[in-house]
Amino acid sequence: MKRRTFLQLGTVIAAGAVLDGCRSKNEQLIPYLIPPDEGITPGKGTYYASSCNACPAGCGILVRVSEGRAKKIEGNPEHPINRGKLCARGQAVVQELYHPDRVPHPLKRNGPRGSGAFTRISWQEGIGLLTDRLKALQREQSTNGLALLTPHLRGTLAELTGRFMRTFGSTNHVSYELLTPDLLRIAARRSFGQPTLPYYDIAETRYLLSFGADFVDSHLSPVKYGSAFGEMRQGRDTVRGHFTYVGGRMSLTAASADRWMPAKPGSEGTLALGIARLILAESLYDSGALAMNGLEAKKLLAALDRYDLPRVAQLSGLPQGAIAEVAREFASTRPALALAGEMVAFQSNGPESVRAVHLLNLLVGSLNRPGGIYPDAGSPSGPENSFAELIALIETMRGGHVKVAMIHGDPLYSVPPATGFHDALAKVPFIVSFSSLLDDTALHADLVLPDHAALESWGDVIPVAGTREPLVGLMQPVVEPLFDTRQFPEVLLATAHELGGRMAAALPDESYLELLKGAVRKQAGFGAGVDFEAAWVDLLQHGGLFKTKSVQPTGYRWSSDAPPPLPEDPDFAGDQKTYPFHLIAYPATAFYDGRGAPYPWLQQLPDPMTTVVWGSWVEINPETAAEHGIGFGDLVEVSSPQGTLRLPAVVYPGIRPDMVAIPLGQGHRGMGRYAQGQGVNPLALVARQGTKQQPAWNATRVRITRISGNGELVTAGHPQGSLRSELVEI
Amino acid sequence: MNKVRLIIGLAIVTVAIVAASVLLYLLPLDVRDHSPVQPIAFSHKLHAGDNGIHCLFCHSYAAKSPAAGIPSMEECRACHLFISPNTPEIKKLMKYWEKREPIPWVKVYSLPDFVYFPHMMHVRAKLSCAACHGEVAAMERITRTASLKMGWCLNCHHQHKASIDCWTCHK
Repeated sequence: MKRRTFLQLGTVIAAGAVLDGCRSKNEQLIPYLIPPDEGITPGKGTYYASSCNACPAGCGILVRVSEGRAKKIEGNPEHPINRGKLCARGQAVVQELYHPDRVPHPLKRNGPRGSGAFTRISWQEGIGLLTDRLKALQREQSTNGLALLTPHLRGTLAELTGRFMRTFGSTNHVSYELLTPDLLRIAARRSFGQPTLPYYDIAETRYLLSFGADFVDSHLSPVKYGSAFGEMRQGRDTVRGHFTYVGGRMSLTAASADRWMPAKPGSEGTLALGIARLILAESLYDSGALAMNGLEAKKLLAALDRYDLPRVAQLSGLPQGAIAEVAREFASTRPALALAGEMVAFQSNGPESVRAVHLLNLLVGSLNRPGGIYPDAGSPSGPENSFAELIALIETMRGGHVKVAMIHGDPLYSVPPATGFHDALAKVPFIVSFSSLLDDTALHADLVLPDHAALESWGDVIPVAGTREPLVGLMQPVVEPLFDTRQFPEVLLATAHELGGRMAAALPDESYLELLKGAVRKQAGFGAGVDFEAAWVDLLQHGGLFKTKSVQPTGYRWSSDAPPPLPEDPDFAGDQKTYPFHLIAYPATAFYDGRGAPYPWLQQLPDPMTTVVWGSWVEINPETAAEHGIGFGDLVEVSSPQGTLRLPAVVYPGIRPDMVAIPLGQGHRGMGRYAQGQGVNPLALVARQGTKQQPAWNATRVRITRISGNGELVTAGHPQGSLRSELVEI
Repeated sequence: MNKVRLIIGLAIVTVAIVAASVLLYLLPLDVRDHSPVQPIAFSHKLHAGDNGIHCLFCHSYAAKSPAAGIPSMEECRACHLFISPNTPEIKKLMKYWEKREPIPWVKVYSLPDFVYFPHMMHVRAKLSCAACHGEVAAMERITRTASLKMGWCLNCHHQHKASIDCWTCHK
């Protein structure tokens, strides 16, 4: 071909391509075959009130549904917890419904475990397989061979699972979550004699002192406390509340503070006691409150004698002047409020440190007062040591005594390998998973009985720690189920019916909805004259029962026999020479404990502090990074006595030089195409601390080594520029 | 010499760019078919014209929803089970029904996503359907008569003293 012909031809082809790009075809207009008879008006949305179950906070949501499809989720303005606001995780619940990798029907394993090879079976066959195993256990008189592992369930579902396991005759019922507030409950029990979580009246307070409680990101009820924080700052005409944050890593919450006190990890309790001692020594305490709680200032001061300023300053790594200043501000501003969160609780001396913070609230008279703390009324009782139960279950499984494990949730991801859970679970001959995505646990299951998505489910959601008035949020299906799935409680009921005998008698309800209605009816305490069906519809329209007749807990009072809190010195896994840095594994704003990872909206959500998207990273102080020759985005190896991970570095001035931090939530082996293979799971590094029956996930030491210059870090902004300063001054 | 050439060259390029822009602006870039062939030769003339069926009888959502809607297959079938069931076009319709397939009608009027056009407000304002859709009752095959450009919308809003705030349509 001649050059000229080639060029002419090329021009013609290019012109053709351009013209073709301009041509847009008419769209199609597809009519309904048979219009649905529910009064659907095409083009118009219907709003359904429901509740969010993406985290324990239990916010109310409104779902816009048009043409029978859920389109958008916003907060329910009537709901007392979130008052119309909703976080990113709640908004992403709609992506659970339409996730392309949902398990559409029951599955049976047909390859080696963990290979992900499954065949489709019918529901009848699936429930049949499960009942056969359970019947075999009944025949062999070893009903304790059944184990049920779930997240913390509340309300009707908790009652149902409890009754199922009790009637079957098994004690192996563990409800475990990684970010469990168990330790906060233990601390409350020791100090106040009741396991109620505190409800913080942040909106009304004038001085907020948070010890590692990231209440804007993830602590207990972030939407509630986030908006209350806004109230505290700007909601009043003449007062702008002051906020001091104590903790070695600058979280989003810490970044919102007026003063940041980067205390050494594990020293927060000591610092609280140092502040308490100063308040006592300078007589800045509320003597009425002390007397009311049966405490004597003199005795208390003597008990806290060890916590003098120089020693506390040395232990916490903070300047004496700053500590004294905060103590005086805290004591002289009323009302003042001190919070303790996960960063403190998950240290080896966690519960005692949390108690030390309680003592601060008591000293300034903030118990049961506006702007102080009240006992939580939403979910006043809950598991107090699910970790000990989990460890016991692991022992039972390791001994080969568990024959059937029914698992809701993803413990293979969220239980740290250091507990030995992974090996122990491998010894269970039959694993049933109820996950709606093939997560790490479901990949190892023998039978997958997929649950409905939240927007297809019935349920009651009892919020944790966000309310002073008891309330029950209701979940209702807003769309027809997309696939051949069944709700977890329905499967339990069907299994009980199949088993017959005592099981069928104990769980006679035809459907979970009937059970739920019965429970709500009891909770609401309707009189005889009330038409319950009409009242039920009314409750569904509003999103729940916001005025219950349950007894409200009276209030906090220091137990007469409670000793003053005395946190021991923190204990860390790994010796300081080999492993010079403290590791903090904190819940990522987008993923919580990892359950947000499958949704692309959350994967694309830039981390609020580092702007990283899609992946994991390790935060290293600029000083430390310079010492080790690590640059922004370099690939770094982080090793602990437990394991080794490779991930990109973020040079981050908002962290102590002797600390590194990795967000939780990534590093799934399964869980669909968006989560799979993204980042790493920092739990692989976490060591189990000593023989204590308490999780101390933030008490591991690590070392870091630079591997290469290419860590494949993706950021949405340009934090290299803005993070170059030396923020930490110690 | 070189300088003159450069200036002339630049002038030509500028003129060319301006001309191209003007041309792009004037050209009918909307290349959608204004009167596409439909899968079934549905005659609006017959239905709306000769038989005098009101628009809202079939496009029943126009009065209460942003979308006017089109009749479902069930509704078409319900009438034509008895009305001229043996004509070739009705047989086509019944074949679709038997196969449980909806008819893929070709859309003639469509607005981009950034325009909010509610049918119900225009019906409520007593605007006749023909104001936008033309004399549909005389059309064998539906033909688009309006340009659907923003200026066209604005003219009408001006004439009827309707709001011309951006937020009215772009939300």
